[in-house]
Amino acid sequence: MTQAVVASSTIVGVEAIGVEVQVDVSAGLPAFTIVGLGDAAVLEARDRVRAAMRACGYDFPNARVTVNLAPAPVRKHGTGFDLPIALGVLAATGQVPRAATEAVAVGELALDGGVRPVPGLLAHAIAAQRAGRPLLIATEALPVVGAVPDVSARPLARLSGLRQGLPDETSTRAPCLRTAGAGPDLAEVHDQPAAKRALEIAAAGGLGVLFVGPPGAGKTMLARRLPGILPPLTAEEALQTAVVHSVAGLDVESVLAGERPFCAPHHTASTAGLVGGGSPPRPGEASLAHNGVLFLDEVPEFSPAALQALRQPLEDGFLTLVRAEGRVRYPARFALVAAMNPCPCGFLGDLQRPCTCPPALVDRYRARIGGPLMDRIDMTLRVDRIDPRCLLTGGADEPSATVRRRVAAARECTRAREGDRTATSGAALLRACALDATSRSAVERAARTHRLSGRGVTRLLRVARTIADLDGSDAVTIRHILEASCYRAIS
Amino acid sequence: MRFVLRRGEPGYPAHLELTPRPPRVLYGFGDPGALRPALAIIGSRKATPYGLDCAAVFARCAADAGVPVVSGAAMGCDLAAHRATLDAGGTTVAVLGCGADVDYPARARDVLATLREGRGAVVSEFPWGMPPARGHFPARNRIIAGLAYAVLVVEAALPSGTFSTADHALEAGRDVLAVPGSVFFHGSAGCNRLIRQGAAPISCIEDLLDSLAGCGLIETVRGAGRDASGPTPLSPASSDPVLCALLAQPTAPDALATALSMDASELLRAVALLEADGRIARYPDGRYGPCLPR
Repeated sequence: MTQAVVASSTIVGVEAIGVEVQVDVSAGLPAFTIVGLGDAAVLEARDRVRAAMRACGYDFPNARVTVNLAPAPVRKHGTGFDLPIALGVLAATGQVPRAATEAVAVGELALDGGVRPVPGLLAHAIAAQRAGRPLLIATEALPVVGAVPDVSARPLARLSGLRQGLPDETSTRAPCLRTAGAGPDLAEVHDQPAAKRALEIAAAGGLGVLFVGPPGAGKTMLARRLPGILPPLTAEEALQTAVVHSVAGLDVESVLAGERPFCAPHHTASTAGLVGGGSPPRPGEASLAHNGVLFLDEVPEFSPAALQALRQPLEDGFLTLVRAEGRVRYPARFALVAAMNPCPCGFLGDLQRPCTCPPALVDRYRARIGGPLMDRIDMTLRVDRIDPRCLLTGGADEPSATVRRRVAAARECTRAREGDRTATSGAALLRACALDATSRSAVERAARTHRLSGRGVTRLLRVARTIADLDGSDAVTIRHILEASCYRAIS
Repeated sequence: MRFVLRRGEPGYPAHLELTPRPPRVLYGFGDPGALRPALAIIGSRKATPYGLDCAAVFARCAADAGVPVVSGAAMGCDLAAHRATLDAGGTTVAVLGCGADVDYPARARDVLATLREGRGAVVSEFPWGMPPARGHFPARNRIIAGLAYAVLVVEAALPSGTFSTADHALEAGRDVLAVPGSVFFHGSAGCNRLIRQGAAPISCIEDLLDSLAGCGLIETVRGAGRDASGPTPLSPASSDPVLCALLAQPTAPDALATALSMDASELLRAVALLEADGRIARYPDGRYGPCLPR
């Protein structure tokens, strides 16, 4: 009776937790069983492992093979256990050196013995690095894993490569962070100076912004350019975001290059699609937009339940899903951009086309964006279709790089004043604004004429503080308050 | 208080009797004395703030001159006219396309309740409890025109239900007045067309008072409505380009910044300042434009 133990890991949320793959080969009727709450993909490993071993010239033992995935009560998903199971069987039957089992192995096997990458490799790499063990993965996955500092990656192209023990460590080069955004440029948006200004303020202050305008006004075009005027991701942020993308099985190259993610879920998105869920739980769009931009186009058309579910990430920057199999936590700190038509037909306030909506319908349509979301929208602005003549002539519009520099300077200004904690509470914000008598009376006047609620005044101050930062001003003055009052919610 | 007026019986409004097809029976609620010769103020249900403000200004003017205001209690301009008349302490009559005891539209409930209490009257040719129906409204427009000596259209698109009221007014030999609007805006095309067809353009309070005197609703122009604290629709002259542009044409900040070649933040500051002064207001659709001074 021989046994072997191989370390592996499984994804829970966006973290990989260690799993011990215990293999027992003993006399008895030939059988191959896997226990330890694996899903269908895990159980199918039996056929892949058997075929891959034969294809690489190994013998599959004509004995009773039992595999246990410990800790047994945790549900395990996916095809990443193919490689550790094969490695365990090989080690237990003495076909590869025992030393090969010291690595954390994660990978899917092809029937010809090829090793393929699996989703969530970045999370597995972080777990292996924390455990201080080498990581045995597919050769293809090497560039991705290189983003994790100090990980000892052992690339394996085919199962046959294990005969002499673990492959040698291959130096993984961290992908260089690009400094300039590669996304669409703000210079491609002609005119619309007020909308661009609003976007700049939103980028500088991390504020939520809502564009209201008829179809074809360029709301989506504007939103897509927000990532480009935000400062590029730092290495740490890039890794955080890339892990989420990796777990979701998406390409992580652009994120690792420092590009901020831009997620624009369709308005038919389910709650699970927006905030994560399903079985096994997968991160939703809100988490994929971590450190980037979440764009909700046609926001009144989203299901109220899905919008309501955004309350926690908007407040806390992360999401906790509680399911039968346990709690998972996804990061979700994003800049929110929303867009809507002024009315269901879209042409309310349009000069050329009459609006065909009954007035009561317009009110109902507006009321569909409920409280929690509206509370997080600090700025609202009307955008209109621009004159086609401007499109054709195309003046000199500012490129994203110029705006990005101003945004970075404003953010620096904020950091110098407040440190890493931004003033969110009313009292701290009021202190940060350093209002004098004239600006105080301007705030009072704005609150009175526009009938602002307490929350409305806080939003006004927050926007005014950001405008002052863009201005390089220590105190919020009347000019900042005046401009900020133009971005208040459209009632 | 309910009342029922039949043709030929005492109390039936004499000026309504003179129209081509007066209603056989008039069911009413409120004060029957309110059914004296009036000014009708009508307009689009989907009114812009411009139309609503015009309805309010001219209704207030009529109320100050002691002329009752008759309208259809529809959303938009009609309700604005009723409300402004009540606010100015005037008498107003709502003519409905359903039974006079039915609250339709629901938004007019408060106004209708005030009128039924005796601040005016709610009348209809349809029996008690009759629900509204599409075909009822042209018939209602005939009564609105019949109760008025002059019909003022404050804002109308093309085509518009207000044209039916104007046609009934012409048939009955009553005056048609119209408030001109922007030549660029489809929502004003109806009024501008009426003016081209011969309706008297009303562009200030003096114009309205002249027309009221012309059709015999008031004795003399002098003095009437002048003592009112109500503002004249014409805003004071100004050379501020932002203010002038917005008074001429409601515009979104983007389009205005482009048109005036101004920096966005500079323009927004100018707009906010004008708004704080009450010279302009932000409309529900997000544009800025003229408003009634607060």
